[in-house]
Amino acid sequence: MTLDDAISTYVQDGDLVGFGGLSFWRKPIEACREIIRQDKKDLSLCTFVGGIEIDMLVAAGCASKVRASFVGMEIFGMAPNYRKAVESRSIKISEESEASIALGLRASYLKVPFMPLKGIIGTDMPKVRNDIKQFKDPLGSDTELMALPKIDLDVAILHVPYADEYGNGNIAGAVWMDDDMAKTAKKTIIITEKLVETEDIRYLPGKAQLPMQTTTAVVKIPYGAHPTSCYNHYTFDALHIQEYLKMNFNEYKKKYITGKNSAQYLEEAGGVQTILNILL
Amino acid sequence: MTEFSKDYTIDELMTVLMAREVQNDDVMIVGVATPMVWAAFTLAKLTHAPDAIYHYIMGNTYVIEPRQVSLLYLEMNTARAYRFQNSVECTLESLPSEKLTTIEFFRPAQVDQFGNTNNVCIGDWKSPKIRLPGAAGILDFSMFYKRGSFLYTPRHDSRTFVSTERLFFISGAGFPEGKPSICGGSGPQCVVTNLAYLDFDGKSKRMRLASIHPGVDIDTVKESTGFDLIIPNDLKETKPPTIKEIDLLRERVDPLKIRKLEVLSGNEREELLDGIIQKELATQNKFPKLLFS
Repeated sequence: MTLDDAISTYVQDGDLVGFGGLSFWRKPIEACREIIRQDKKDLSLCTFVGGIEIDMLVAAGCASKVRASFVGMEIFGMAPNYRKAVESRSIKISEESEASIALGLRASYLKVPFMPLKGIIGTDMPKVRNDIKQFKDPLGSDTELMALPKIDLDVAILHVPYADEYGNGNIAGAVWMDDDMAKTAKKTIIITEKLVETEDIRYLPGKAQLPMQTTTAVVKIPYGAHPTSCYNHYTFDALHIQEYLKMNFNEYKKKYITGKNSAQYLEEAGGVQTILNILL
Repeated sequence: MTEFSKDYTIDELMTVLMAREVQNDDVMIVGVATPMVWAAFTLAKLTHAPDAIYHYIMGNTYVIEPRQVSLLYLEMNTARAYRFQNSVECTLESLPSEKLTTIEFFRPAQVDQFGNTNNVCIGDWKSPKIRLPGAAGILDFSMFYKRGSFLYTPRHDSRTFVSTERLFFISGAGFPEGKPSICGGSGPQCVVTNLAYLDFDGKSKRMRLASIHPGVDIDTVKESTGFDLIIPNDLKETKPPTIKEIDLLRERVDPLKIRKLEVLSGNEREELLDGIIQKELATQNKFPKLLFS
């Protein structure tokens, strides 16, 4: 399947879309560029720790809501377009913590309405979230707990270094929320650096952390996580991220996104020299 | 006889003070974009805490080996883990248990006299003047740690240190209303800043000036704090870094001065950042250098 087909078939306007990875690490950015090219609207974006993928989709006007425990550009600073959109109230946010995302996904795939957490108590998060609630242990221990609601994703989009054509995905570094997102989303799209045989997946550490039964589509796009990283192939592209932060988003979109396929994008982003810079 | 350094910068002093908080059996939690914390933990590991282990949030991995601080290649370090964690366990397994003592440093955008912190917004949450990146795991953990939570900021000023009414959002629980959290954690233990080392009074739970850095006068600290600090009669001067600590930090732990990105701002910061990126891109071996104690 091509990326164009996968996004147009499985991502609909208004969907709650989960993105794998964390911060600048293993984000499905080529899929985000395709979402922007197809001009999807009114998406709710959900990720564990967000960065440039959230910022781009918000800047391009594809999103109306964000659910993430953190959206920033790490050592490079704040996410400028996300920040502007929240401050001008042009998007809604749901204030999240790491646990509210992790437990929300778990509640969803366990088919329960909420998961209990011993945490958040004493912070202002309950004041801005009318869908979470403090309650006392119903089994009688007197422990105060927080009920965190399930997060039902319509689509999960995940970037991995290895997958086979059946949809078995292997992640060489940290998995973060990717496997929970794959389990609970109604549809799961895997973007892979390399397409390998099932036999190869068997010999990779961790085997198929994303098993074929939860995968809807597999698309091979080498360097598809650029400018974020994909361990064990390449690290994030600090120079590109700096350029992104210096440019107005419309100029950036014109130069790198509109009308570009993934090869043309890589060429525009510095070609061979960029690849040599980021390769591990 | 310990020889103290006479030639150190503020990022070095802060890093050394943070390193001194680590105990030998700690799990040291390294967050996202906090090179000063990484440098401090690695310094501790090479000096008084050789058995402490790292828990890298960016990898959600447990790692034993200390490595040189890196900006572009920290994932290479975290991937050398003896254990990966994913899904719920990566956020909740680091909660204090009977077996683990964890140490984590939070860098608040705002902190009040009871150690409550804000990393969410400046101004009203609904229409903020500044939307900050968010508090991530601080919301989940700040009220739990058995050894308490640890704070640091290189911006000791009256915009950062504010009274409770001016704290726009509590995203990290300190001692709410001056009381310990009902969740059972020990609460905030200290705040390491560019001017002083602060801790909390055992009874009132209010912030106290524990020691003042060499060369800083007490009025500067008072004017830079938006609430009244408890000031003990026998106010001490902060013990400066030793020559050994400074040598280790400069030559082995963080020779590229990545920690300094947390202290600098403006052009000076841009120049340092560009230099670090160029130096790291030029290396052949992308694994951050393994350090042996």
